Amino acid sequence: MPIGQTLPFTAVRWDDVLFVVLAIMLLGSALLVVTMRDIIRCGLAMIASFASLAGIYVLLGNPLLAATQVLVYIGAISILVLFAIMLTETKNAPTRLVFQTQAWVGAVAAVVIAAIIAGTVLTTTWPSTGAVAWTATSDIATMLFGQYVLPFEAVSVLLTAAVVGGVLLARREPPAGKEDRS
Amino acid sequence: MSSSLDSYLVLSGLLFSIGTFGFLARRNAISMLMSIELMLNAVNLTIIAFGAFEQPLHVHASVIALIVIAVAAAEATVGLAIVIAIYRNKKTPLVDEYDSMSE
Amino acid sequence: MTALLPLIPILPLGGFVLTGLLGRRYPDDAHRIAVWAVVASWVVASIVAVMALLHASPFGTGGAGITLWTWIPANGFANGFNASMGLFVDPLTACLLIVVTTIGMLVHVYSIGYMAHDPGRWRFFAYLNLFMFSMLTLVLADNFLLVFAGWELVGLCSYLLIGFWYPRRSAAVAAKKAFLVNRVGDMGFALGIMAIWTQLGTLNMQAVFARFGSVPHEWQIAIALLIFCGAVGKSAQFPLHVWLPDAMEGPTPVSALIHAATMVNAGVYLVARCNPIFGAAPEVMVVVAAIGIFTAILAASIAFTQTDIKRVLAYSTLSQLGYMFASLGVGAWTAAIFHLMSHGFFKGLLFLDSGSVIHSVDGEQDMRKMGGLARKIPITYATMLVGSIAIAGVPPLAGFFSKDEILGRAFKNGFLWVWAIGFVVAGMTAFYMFRLMGMTFWGPSHVDPEVEHHIHESPRSMTGPLVLLAIPAALLGLAIGFPPETGLLHQWLAPVFASTIAASGHTEAAYNFFGIDGALAIGTTALVAVAIVLAWRFFGVEIPALGLRAQPRPDQVRALSARQGLSLLYKGSFNKWWFDDINNKLFVEWGGRVAAAAFWFDRTIVDGTVNGIGTVTAGAGMRLRRVQTGRVQNYALGIALGLIVMAAGYLYLAVR
Repeated sequence: MPIGQTLPFTAVRWDDVLFVVLAIMLLGSALLVVTMRDIIRCGLAMIASFASLAGIYVLLGNPLLAATQVLVYIGAISILVLFAIMLTETKNAPTRLVFQTQAWVGAVAAVVIAAIIAGTVLTTTWPSTGAVAWTATSDIATMLFGQYVLPFEAVSVLLTAAVVGGVLLARREPPAGKEDRS
Repeated sequence: MSSSLDSYLVLSGLLFSIGTFGFLARRNAISMLMSIELMLNAVNLTIIAFGAFEQPLHVHASVIALIVIAVAAAEATVGLAIVIAIYRNKKTPLVDEYDSMSE
Repeated sequence: MTALLPLIPILPLGGFVLTGLLGRRYPDDAHRIAVWAVVASWVVASIVAVMALLHASPFGTGGAGITLWTWIPANGFANGFNASMGLFVDPLTACLLIVVTTIGMLVHVYSIGYMAHDPGRWRFFAYLNLFMFSMLTLVLADNFLLVFAGWELVGLCSYLLIGFWYPRRSAAVAAKKAFLVNRVGDMGFALGIMAIWTQLGTLNMQAVFARFGSVPHEWQIAIALLIFCGAVGKSAQFPLHVWLPDAMEGPTPVSALIHAATMVNAGVYLVARCNPIFGAAPEVMVVVAAIGIFTAILAASIAFTQTDIKRVLAYSTLSQLGYMFASLGVGAWTAAIFHLMSHGFFKGLLFLDSGSVIHSVDGEQDMRKMGGLARKIPITYATMLVGSIAIAGVPPLAGFFSKDEILGRAFKNGFLWVWAIGFVVAGMTAFYMFRLMGMTFWGPSHVDPEVEHHIHESPRSMTGPLVLLAIPAALLGLAIGFPPETGLLHQWLAPVFASTIAASGHTEAAYNFFGIDGALAIGTTALVAVAIVLAWRFFGVEIPALGLRAQPRPDQVRALSARQGLSLLYKGSFNKWWFDDINNKLFVEWGGRVAAAAFWFDRTIVDGTVNGIGTVTAGAGMRLRRVQTGRVQNYALGIALGLIVMAAGYLYLAVR
């Protein structure tokens, strides 16, 4: 039997519940990313936040983006970050201080930025349709390989360059004469 | 709530602020990179939200978001490579000890 | 013919370069190039001068010139400032050419003997040649800028030669003094040249003279005064006369050439050359006359009591230059040039004689330690006697004609006061010259016994020029100045000054010996005779040929100088009327204080401001560099805070 539009016995819509749950997960895990002591756990929390965001993309009617989020962020970037953590973290790694001395200034700045964004958003009247429009994957494909084919190709060049750059930078012994120290 | 653009934008703003805080406050270079990822995600969320709620941006926003994801992937690759290279030189992942620019 | 003109200055210039380059290597032959260069220059100059004086083609009566090249092209400056390198000869230039090259040549020859034992004589001859080049440039130049260049070059040579024996402190100081005092006058001259440019837009002399009438009268006066200012400095007129006596620190040939016969005449030449300018400003002419005649009597009074033989001659030079300026001032242009020429010869002669005397008594310059030298150095004595008679104004030697002409013209042109003072100065001149003769050549010897026995006549290279100079000193007046006011010189120079004299309104009254002119001449001669006899009475005389013999009476001199009323005059004269002390007080002491104050102001206020800005900047930088921690996150924080500020400002504007 299909479940209703709303929570049983209330006027609260399932969508809203889902949104709130996902938002709490997203913000919570994000906070953990920036506050936890152990950097491995930070990385894991980051995966959680990426996953929550993928859920929110689904709520926004964009399954392709959600899939891409999972594939790229969780599947590639997170793994990359975890590898980097493992490469740099040594046994005697200084875990004594997680935060900079300027952390409190950063916190104040972050709060102020949040306030400014929220204030701006809430005081602005958007010409919104009021409902989420479903985004079909086929539409995206049409547009990406039609109108946006040039940026698409540019991105592919960028990715190639990034791969080459990453390999060059991370090499143990930079080839003599090719490095640019200036 | 889930059908209001404002809630998504505020969520995105909060996520962005958290990322900002992380970038400004954490000592570890990799933590900073993770914070940057959070901020990029916030931006992506904004784009998708606008695409979902604003008819003229529909579909376009998805394409832009995809491109942002690709660029983020490239950035992460290069960024992490740089961190590893610096780490080899300085033997520390702590950014506040990378202060040779002040000399 | 005009193509020969560049040779005249270039020959000594070549001599200077070669002597300067090679002299150190061949010190014994250093004089050869220099002397022959000047002799060659003299030959060329003589040809040119004779042609010009005879008004022969191409010079004619108005003179002719040659433009060598464009010195400063007109497109070089925004205001079109330009000057060409050009030489110009007219009868006035020719007169100067004769004086400069003839005396220059004789002095060069004389210096061979005089400087024979000086290790730096290659340097000396190089400087002398450079001086000849500079002086000839000055005389020959056809535009004011080139005159100024020559003007400064002779000043430089004067400086170099006064300070030739630079290890001697007094010489170095005297050179500096001459240079600095000259600078005062040169400043005026430079301003005058600038004024000419602003008013007429050209510096070519003939063009300036032709169009000078179109200049506003105030500017005419200003230009004349400024040019005269330069002349005052170079010719050592009051109040810039103080450098010339000190310039006697230089070797005696230098004193003869530069500080008696040529360079100091540059001022007289300049004023005479600029006669259209001065003629247009009669007010300035009066100033010229006043300063000239005042210098004449001032210097003559100082010469009364000086004991240094060269200083007596130096003050005498000042006095005679004063005569020349007085002559220029009263409009007797030709007389001034006449006196310039005759003075050049007899004063050059006197200086060379004094050098010969000093040479013979082993460098002693104090006349109180001389005496009785007449028999020991007869040629020097004879020539110096000729020079003294000439300068004293005894007819028929050169000085008589030129001085008499100046006094006569002053009287006839209505400047009675100039005549009166000049008349007195004529007597004073005779007196101090025969005082010099008496103290040096006559009476008992006061020479240091150690020097006494080897007093000797100078070598032929020195006595030769003396004899050669004595001839014009004796005969020049008769040759070119007789009959008075219609003589050869007047015929030569008439075209140069004709228009100015015509404009001045002083009619050239015919010379009338059986009238006012004769009376003045006889009066002056009588005064001169009395003065000479007085000098003989006080300082002795010994001319057996004329049966004159008198012993000096130093006790009477002393008594007279100590007498009430006279003692103050004596002290004043002896101390050169305290000009050096006044200058010292005024410029060295008070000026030094002003300079110290300016220095303090510069150091503390000006430099303080500048350094303060520097210190504040550097200090701020030192403190602010802490901001640049080199840590990425500090910069990122800056970005974040900046973002906040910008967003806040943006929001504030949007909400408002």
